[in-house]
Amino acid sequence: MGGCSGYWGRGWEDAQGIGVRVALAQLKPGRADSASCPSQLPSLTPLHSLGQRWEMAPVLPLVLPLQPRIRLAQGLWLLSWLLALAGGVILLCSGHLLVQLRHLGTFLAPSCQFPVLPQAALAAGAVALGTGLVGVGASRASLNAALYPPWRGVLGPLLVAGTAGGGGLLVVALGLALALPGSLDEALEEGLVTALAHYKDTEVPGHCQAKRLVDELQLRYHCCGRHGYKDWFGVQWVSSRYLDPGDRDVADRIQSNVEGLYLTDGVPFSCCNPHSPRPCLQNRLSDSYAHPLFDPRQPNQNLWTQGCHEVLLEHLQDLAGTLGSMLAVTFLLQALVLLGLRYLQTALEGLGGVIDAGGETQGYLFPSGLKDMLKTAWLQGGVACRPAPEEAPPAEAPPKEDLSEA
Amino acid sequence: MALLKVKFDQKKRVKLAQGLWLMNWFSVLAGIIIFSLGLFLKIELRKRSDVMNNSESHFVPNSLIGMGVLSCVFNSLAGKICYDALDPAKYARWKPWLKPYLAICVLFNIILFLVALCCFLLRGSLENTLGQGLKNGMKYYRDTDTPGRCFMKKTIDMLQIEFKCCGNNGFRDWFEIQWISNRYLDFSSKEVKDRIKSNVDGRYLVDGVPFSCCNPSSPRPCIQYQITNNSAHYSYDHQTEELNLWVRGCRAALLSYYSSLMNSMGVVTLLIWLFEVTITIGLRYLQTSLDGVSNPEESESDSEGWLLEKSVPETWKAFLESVKKLGKGNQVEAEGADAGQAPEAG
Repeated sequence: MGGCSGYWGRGWEDAQGIGVRVALAQLKPGRADSASCPSQLPSLTPLHSLGQRWEMAPVLPLVLPLQPRIRLAQGLWLLSWLLALAGGVILLCSGHLLVQLRHLGTFLAPSCQFPVLPQAALAAGAVALGTGLVGVGASRASLNAALYPPWRGVLGPLLVAGTAGGGGLLVVALGLALALPGSLDEALEEGLVTALAHYKDTEVPGHCQAKRLVDELQLRYHCCGRHGYKDWFGVQWVSSRYLDPGDRDVADRIQSNVEGLYLTDGVPFSCCNPHSPRPCLQNRLSDSYAHPLFDPRQPNQNLWTQGCHEVLLEHLQDLAGTLGSMLAVTFLLQALVLLGLRYLQTALEGLGGVIDAGGETQGYLFPSGLKDMLKTAWLQGGVACRPAPEEAPPAEAPPKEDLSEA
Repeated sequence: MALLKVKFDQKKRVKLAQGLWLMNWFSVLAGIIIFSLGLFLKIELRKRSDVMNNSESHFVPNSLIGMGVLSCVFNSLAGKICYDALDPAKYARWKPWLKPYLAICVLFNIILFLVALCCFLLRGSLENTLGQGLKNGMKYYRDTDTPGRCFMKKTIDMLQIEFKCCGNNGFRDWFEIQWISNRYLDFSSKEVKDRIKSNVDGRYLVDGVPFSCCNPSSPRPCIQYQITNNSAHYSYDHQTEELNLWVRGCRAALLSYYSSLMNSMGVVTLLIWLFEVTITIGLRYLQTSLDGVSNPEESESDSEGWLLEKSVPETWKAFLESVKKLGKGNQVEAEGADAGQAPEAG
């Protein structure tokens, strides 16, 4: 590596720009002065050497003299703190959504996959937080020669983990945030129908909490029924245990119903609207003569007018939307931080890990010869099936030497 | 015979100053916490001032807010002093101000302790205000048409739903007041006329409660009217029925809510008070040890720091004598002025 590091450094002296010019400068025959890097060029035809230059060039290189390097490290430090903050916010949002779903879980059908979203977002947020903190530490260390050596070995695997794990999780969570809210409508419909049907079953094990939960839902979210208060007219919400079989009105109602349900035109107390100026009217709501002095100009103040379906749907979709936008922002930030860290890492590797050296160095995304690495791996995998082409051995040898030098 | 003497070398002094600087910035944060606690309590009291007759005492939250602001100011000043303490030139600027500043800090700590105690002790006055305010609130429950009181029904209903309570001391308080407005009574109905006639003041009293008293955990639909009439409802005994309505009175519920709030604020304030006392003691040691460095050029020398220069009784005697001297000094000046005027007159 020692001989060729000088070779790399000198190659950049007059290379102003990026990419091809740098690669070409590096390949000028007069500049190859090291004995350990012989014979890569003379045996190649010009066309082949052009192809070689492209293959040997590192992917998206960027020249980084000292000042831009410092700027990069500082900007990366700031971005990493922002990423950590975004990760923390995602953790809080998904925690909040999880708590909400715990309370509202009874009103979602059991087959609904919606709770997967906050769980995935929780994991993605934790990874984003970790990536942000790693970025903070690494960028801080890259400015201080004493702190950097422990980071050298760790940074590579961390970057791979961050890209694969964090990026993958974020994409998954973002996809869920876009896809899942659509399924909420049916899940809520099914869940609410079941909950209202079991309102009276306060002594049936497994459903005894339904009354309390529905009442608390209507009290807290200011809604009544599924789509309106009339939903209660179609459900028997008074338990048979508290119905007097000797009462003629009760017997009439039960007999006149096909399924033997006791249906009334009344609603539970939790539908009552406290803003109403008169005490709550809960019974005989379809009979306009039952309540004297009922002001027809104010029909909507007595009970809550909204249905719980609409209220819950809007509430959960809002939460999911907020979470989704936070995930998108974090995805952008994480991509930027990982890119910056990669460039910083490769630039500092080019200096041999010595921070304070004022020399220029080059950062890149993937080392030169990546394509050849992949091609070699592919060919070695397929060597049993077909013979390797003629140019492969001489083309492989110099990139292999590059790899051993880089 | 100094009190709690500690030897300081240069390194220890530097460490003390740095530690104190950090602690002062933490305690600026603590001051912000106290300020926000006071603000939160003030907002909570304002939110429910309708049921407290608008006459509740805001002493505790106001003093917490004041203490928070003062703590921020004093501690950032102390942080600046500690930062400058390591530089002899800058410290010389602060030197004459340190003794009065420390006296003010001690006073501030005493007041902070008293405020923390107040958080625990002032719930008695709240109880009276709440009882009075709730009684009035329930009286005005039906006045939804009277401007200025039309919101009372909504306030009481939301209160009973949120705090899971009913009435002042229990649900029977509603039996004693007319909470259904005359406007919604059908005066042509015989039942209504009978009730009003049988009441001395002509009020329409029922053994019923508003819907907000209902307990959602009850297994049966809420029984709001004819509560004491067992025969009006199937399979119902009002003596044994506990789940139908909330049993707690709203006065007890609100009192316990505000008590727990103020207790936790008192605990936090006490902890912060302990922190402040530590900072004051550290500052005193820093001041005395830096004063002990006799020669400002030899800032590397060792010195001693102490809390009080002499023991406590001697310090108290010296303090009393200096107060007496102040009084005598005024007298001497007055005599001197008289003597000066006398020759002039004479």
